[in-house]
Amino acid sequence: MSAVNAGEVGLKSGGAPDATGAPATTARQSWPRLWRLKWGLLAAVLMLLIVGVSAAAPWIAPYSPVEVDIRHRLAPPAWMDRGTPDHVLGTDQIGRDLLSRMIYGGRVSLLIGVAAVLVSSTIGVLLGLGAGYFGPRVDWTIMTLVNVMLTFPFVLLALAVIAVLGPSLVNMVIVLGVADWPLYARVIRAETMTLRERDFMTAARALGMSHLRIVFRQLLPNLVSVIVVIATLQVARVIILESFLSFLGLGVQPPTPAWGNMLGDGRVYMLNSWWIAAFPGLAIFITTLTINLMGNALRDWLDPHMKL
Amino acid sequence: MRRALALATGLLVILALVLPAGAQTREETLIYSLQSDVDNWDPPNSVLREAIILGYHVYDHLAVRDVKTRRVVPHLATSWTNIDDTTWEVKLRQGVKFHDGTPFTSRDVKATFDRVLDPTKKMTARGNHAKIKGVDIIDDHTVRFRTDGPYPLFVERLTAQVMQSDKVIREKGHEWMQENPVGTGPYKLVRWNRKQEHQLVRNDDYWGPKPAFKYLRIRIIPEKATEIAELLSGGVDIIKAVPPDQMDVINKSGQAHTGTSPILRTAMLQLDQAARSGPNPFTDRRVRQAANLAVDNDAIIKFVLNGLGDRVATGVNPMAFGWDPGLKPYKQDLAQAKKLLAEAGHPNGVDVLFNEGPPVVEPAIQQTNDAIVADMTKAGFRVKRNYIGDNTVLVAKIKDGKAGSMFNWSWGYYSVFDADAILFDVFKCGENYSYYCNPALDDLIIQGRSTLDQKKRAEVYVKAQKLLFDDAAYLYKWGLRGVWGISNRIEYQAPADEVDRMFLVTPKKK
Amino acid sequence: MKRYALRQVVQLAVVIVGISMLAFAILHVIGDPVTLLLPQNAGKEEYARYNKLLGLDKPLYVQYWKFATRAVQGDFGKSWYADTPAFKLVLERMLPTLYLTTAGLVTALLIALPLGILAALKRHSFVDSLCTVAAVAGQAMPIFWLGIMLIIIFAVQLRLLPASGYGTWRHFLMPSFTLGAFLAPITMRLVRSGVIEIMNMEYIKTARAKGLAERLVVIKHAFRNACIPVITVLGLQFGQLLGGAVVTETVFAWPGVATLTVDAIRNQDFPVVQCAVVLLALIIVAINFLVDMIVGLIDPRIRVGA
Repeated sequence: MSAVNAGEVGLKSGGAPDATGAPATTARQSWPRLWRLKWGLLAAVLMLLIVGVSAAAPWIAPYSPVEVDIRHRLAPPAWMDRGTPDHVLGTDQIGRDLLSRMIYGGRVSLLIGVAAVLVSSTIGVLLGLGAGYFGPRVDWTIMTLVNVMLTFPFVLLALAVIAVLGPSLVNMVIVLGVADWPLYARVIRAETMTLRERDFMTAARALGMSHLRIVFRQLLPNLVSVIVVIATLQVARVIILESFLSFLGLGVQPPTPAWGNMLGDGRVYMLNSWWIAAFPGLAIFITTLTINLMGNALRDWLDPHMKL
Repeated sequence: MRRALALATGLLVILALVLPAGAQTREETLIYSLQSDVDNWDPPNSVLREAIILGYHVYDHLAVRDVKTRRVVPHLATSWTNIDDTTWEVKLRQGVKFHDGTPFTSRDVKATFDRVLDPTKKMTARGNHAKIKGVDIIDDHTVRFRTDGPYPLFVERLTAQVMQSDKVIREKGHEWMQENPVGTGPYKLVRWNRKQEHQLVRNDDYWGPKPAFKYLRIRIIPEKATEIAELLSGGVDIIKAVPPDQMDVINKSGQAHTGTSPILRTAMLQLDQAARSGPNPFTDRRVRQAANLAVDNDAIIKFVLNGLGDRVATGVNPMAFGWDPGLKPYKQDLAQAKKLLAEAGHPNGVDVLFNEGPPVVEPAIQQTNDAIVADMTKAGFRVKRNYIGDNTVLVAKIKDGKAGSMFNWSWGYYSVFDADAILFDVFKCGENYSYYCNPALDDLIIQGRSTLDQKKRAEVYVKAQKLLFDDAAYLYKWGLRGVWGISNRIEYQAPADEVDRMFLVTPKKK
Repeated sequence: MKRYALRQVVQLAVVIVGISMLAFAILHVIGDPVTLLLPQNAGKEEYARYNKLLGLDKPLYVQYWKFATRAVQGDFGKSWYADTPAFKLVLERMLPTLYLTTAGLVTALLIALPLGILAALKRHSFVDSLCTVAAVAGQAMPIFWLGIMLIIIFAVQLRLLPASGYGTWRHFLMPSFTLGAFLAPITMRLVRSGVIEIMNMEYIKTARAKGLAERLVVIKHAFRNACIPVITVLGLQFGQLLGGAVVTETVFAWPGVATLTVDAIRNQDFPVVQCAVVLLALIIVAINFLVDMIVGLIDPRIRVGA
């Protein structure tokens, strides 16, 4: 369920910093590399399209996503019989237009994905830096925390947070953010430990730079590529996790549409009114795939030797 | 090639012979599925509907409800009379044996009730029989029940207590009884794999009509889509709580069909008239009436439930004793609703909080809630929706008085077909699950349960329902209809009391 | 090596205690189990009586101490619903989940290995992207979606497999595929990068030039190093999987410990939740410990915490 924990396996992060501590760039070799990454570029374009459509929801969507019309519920997509061009992708179990819900749902799902990743990456990177940089005691404390979090059942955590704080978008982001930070922590920690012994680090310490400066000015820039790649891939994972939460009844609450809860609510309809679950499922599938391909390309672009 | 084939056939033959001779075939096995499992096999120690159902298979009751006439008829008891207002004499059937061979006598009746009523054992069913003070043995097949004041629901409640063995209670103890039910019933428990399945076998020494199927497997399938898939692929014979929207896929499958029945469970939206959660618009009768007039419940039943609901004027179900057929439910009237809101001081609409629950017992609850909210919005209500996905959390909130101003509620009456069984718990002032407070109603409720005269009681309940209707205590919805999925290889009648009886299932007549 | 192992054991213990405390705290925050245990019409004195009976009226640290001292002896108390020892309940259901998880991991390997190797050999080509798509596909759809689709196809329409349940090898196929598909992408990614690295190593290229025997030695060495990330991740996945098995077990009516835990959480059956969380933690930590030991043996440079 996690993107890989590259840190523990002696990752040799390429793009190795040179003596001044600046990350190596290979901009001069860009164009042929760009061509090799064409699939990733295609994915990136597709992703832009998806984000664009979701952002433009109020102008593009034909109906309001919460408009109930019980007399026209469970209408199939327009190309099937009993379908009407009024509702291109059909309607759901209380007559809401599926296309509109898909478009608005994209906003919610993508927003949650990005927000949760921001939360978890921030916490994880900070803790990872701390663990890798500040020596064995801090390291031990933080790693124990990481292990506790990793071993702790996600469900219990989700139930607790949402039961206490109530089911809202903010709380969902908190749950998903808190659940995922250990991954970043482990990777960043391993990376930090590798970089710690490098020349430029010793130089910086000799110069009397404060710890804070060293961490944020010297270490962090070298870690950016790893963070960005992991974060990108994690957005996809968070979108899937949101659907798991909906499955358990803890996800985005109705009537707000999100791909995850549309899929969860529609799963019993997979037997007859299949379109209710099929289209959000397809949306999740395509988005996740796109993000993964993009992430791969990003990795190859920023740092081809990364083991992810 | 031929040699290989011969060898293979030989192996198969040997395998077939070696297989245990008593292996049960699919033909003689009936498979029933539940979405969640019982916590134990000791019915008075469980609050779950599944425990009630399972109890019916391995145990017997003193009286049961006849499935066709819906009247309470003798079962392990052969007759009952009330000697005076607080004493009932019950005669027991002779020749009945427990699964371990012990004969059933009045000692077992006394032991069962003593155990349930004992305050030091934490039996969950104690509250149901609290009005029974004690059981006295008159002779081997006669007992007398002493009640705390007149107890008109005595006979109804006889259907809610299984008869357990005095010998087992004394010799085996509580913990053993949680997993080893020894009853007098039509099936015996062979094996219980927790949360997976129960395997039962027919009791061939049963005193009553013997079940048609020798083996009964009760499988636990938590996911509704999977359950339906099992029915469609022949893995399961009977499922319950089929969502109305999936009825067509079952009926068209050629493998199974659906059966429906009105059930006792009634749905409503409780409005916080008693202000348990603090001041709110529903303390004003006009606002409550406006809510009832805003919603087109008939259309919701027709379009969202596919007709599977029975409109009720108040919370009293048509099948319950005391129901008033002369009282007609509210009809949608948006103009009147708006007028009433204006009169109540809300010409520009009013804000209310709606605590919604998950689909645990009410089918299509999310869809019907959406439709109700849409209607209420048209009348000027601004509904703030708070969906609580966890039923346990919602129930706890309700019990604590924190669920106002409006929330989903339904009541199963504990399978007691009597108006008292809902009026007391859901409408009486101060009860845990009641957000209504009206001393006039409370008087009527007390009157109704203080006399054994059924005619008087019926009159009292007519008055009570008129009061509840005029005062628009809650937003009344409908009596639920249960939908069962039934394999085409068997015949089964959907039960009005929500108790599935697998021992009544027969193979389809060719 | 011994000191390393000792430190790991200590951390193990700390983690388990930490988890049990966290679980304890969270359970008490979530709500009120007595309300759920009693029938709906139980009055206030019944409520108070039950509360006292279950020991919930005492302060939190007292309750935790009682729990901890008993737990170390293997006594996790009796389930409040089932009136049977919590330990027995959890153990009964642990096995099916472990089987499922292992089968899922094996399936993941079966999917990831060929795809990963292929992708590495045809790096950056269309085939590479295709393999990524294939591997990622399993993780790009929620488990319950894939699971229900498989049930509809293989059980309802084709009547080839049982829709759900536990018992024969046929019951294993769909659930382990569903779970395995979910794990495959990460594993595949690792296999792919591992193979790429091997292919690029200088000594491989020279070994190739020098002849067969040397090449074999070198490849063995290289593979050993490539195994490390795969083993580590599989170990990690095991932990994550147990939590994620809830969905698979629910959809396929698999009698596992994940659904037991979720039900116990919903019913606020504290003894069972505590027991399940602690036992699961023990297993996960033990496996991770094993993995760390193995990896530490293979390559002393990367001992965690060293």
